[in-house]
Amino acid sequence: MSQFIAGLLLLIALTIPPVATLMESVMIIHMHMQMPMLIIAGFFMGRFFLDRFPQFFEKYNQNGLPGILLFTIIMVYWMLPRTMDEALTVQSVEVFKFISLPFLAGVPLRDSWKKLNKVGKNNLITLFAVMFIGFGWLYIQSNAQLCNNYLVIDQIILGWGFITMAICMVIYLAYSLLVDPSQYE
Amino acid sequence: MIKNKQTLYSCLVVLVFGFSLFFVGTDGFTAYTAESARVTKLIEEKPKFPEVTLEDSEGRTYSISEFEDKYVFITFIYTGCTTVCIQLEQNMARVYEKVPSEYKGKEIVFLSISFDPTRDDPEMLDKYKDMFKSDGETWRMARIPNQNELDSLLEKFGVIVIPDGNGNFAHNAAFYLVDGKGTLVDVMDFSEIDEAASKVTNLIEANKGE
Repeated sequence: MSQFIAGLLLLIALTIPPVATLMESVMIIHMHMQMPMLIIAGFFMGRFFLDRFPQFFEKYNQNGLPGILLFTIIMVYWMLPRTMDEALTVQSVEVFKFISLPFLAGVPLRDSWKKLNKVGKNNLITLFAVMFIGFGWLYIQSNAQLCNNYLVIDQIILGWGFITMAICMVIYLAYSLLVDPSQYE
Repeated sequence: MIKNKQTLYSCLVVLVFGFSLFFVGTDGFTAYTAESARVTKLIEEKPKFPEVTLEDSEGRTYSISEFEDKYVFITFIYTGCTTVCIQLEQNMARVYEKVPSEYKGKEIVFLSISFDPTRDDPEMLDKYKDMFKSDGETWRMARIPNQNELDSLLEKFGVIVIPDGNGNFAHNAAFYLVDGKGTLVDVMDFSEIDEAASKVTNLIEANKGE
């Protein structure tokens, strides 16, 4: 229960208009801080839903695949230049962001992640590394302003943010492939 | 891989949801940026050019009705711009060259509107117009001195201008075409010069044939 409250408090804190406006004023903070924090809030709150409706998750998300699929769809949706822009200009899109990221990405991730085996987890990380490189490239090379509410320079910074995260994921993947932790125990 | 039926169903539900989400969110997989969505919407809505007072490089003031029964080919710029505006105006100059000269001034007028009225006074616009070989008559450069009027036009035509604090502006760029009644009829990609020129020429010819 305390986890649920922690998540809820985080969500509420992020929703406070001055906080939201501040975070959304910088493109990379909008995408790489606010959005992940919303997912983390959902991840915490997920405990409550898992305890409350265990049969539901057991029945419809038995192997974790549907949950991961939903998580991925929501993630990709919010990485589109247009959705970022509209979150700032269209009220309903902004509301959808604060609902979809915690509840449709954070909660299913929590349930699905532990159900995935190591190969499944690494596949997911590989998928996201590839996607992040793709989106990074898109935001860096595009000379046109993809988002009307942000400057081109913000866009390039965001692109490099994507590439940096992708590099981290690749390092992790290499580590998990090459290093066997049991050898060091 | 998928062992039980429920998992299959929930996967399907998620996929259908994802498909509809992207379908709605991108106007049927056509507009992935707010800019393309804006253009689609503008062309559908066909807004009217509002009643604003333009002041051109020669200090003449008039409203859009000055160009009654003529097409007006419009771009939005500011002269202090060092990046996209130059590209935009160079491309506009190339469209200007490609449109048959018998139509210029009679059937169509080119108009560059500045959204930086404090710095872009008639004198400044006069200098700027020479850089692009604009004659100040069939291709005019003008500012809208009244900020409220300027804002109403920018909003109607979906031009988003963000001051960056150093006297520069980030803004979206396109070719706008307004017809003889002051209605916006097309918003064109400013990098497609040939396409814009032939579109305009065809429209004029079709209009004359009527």
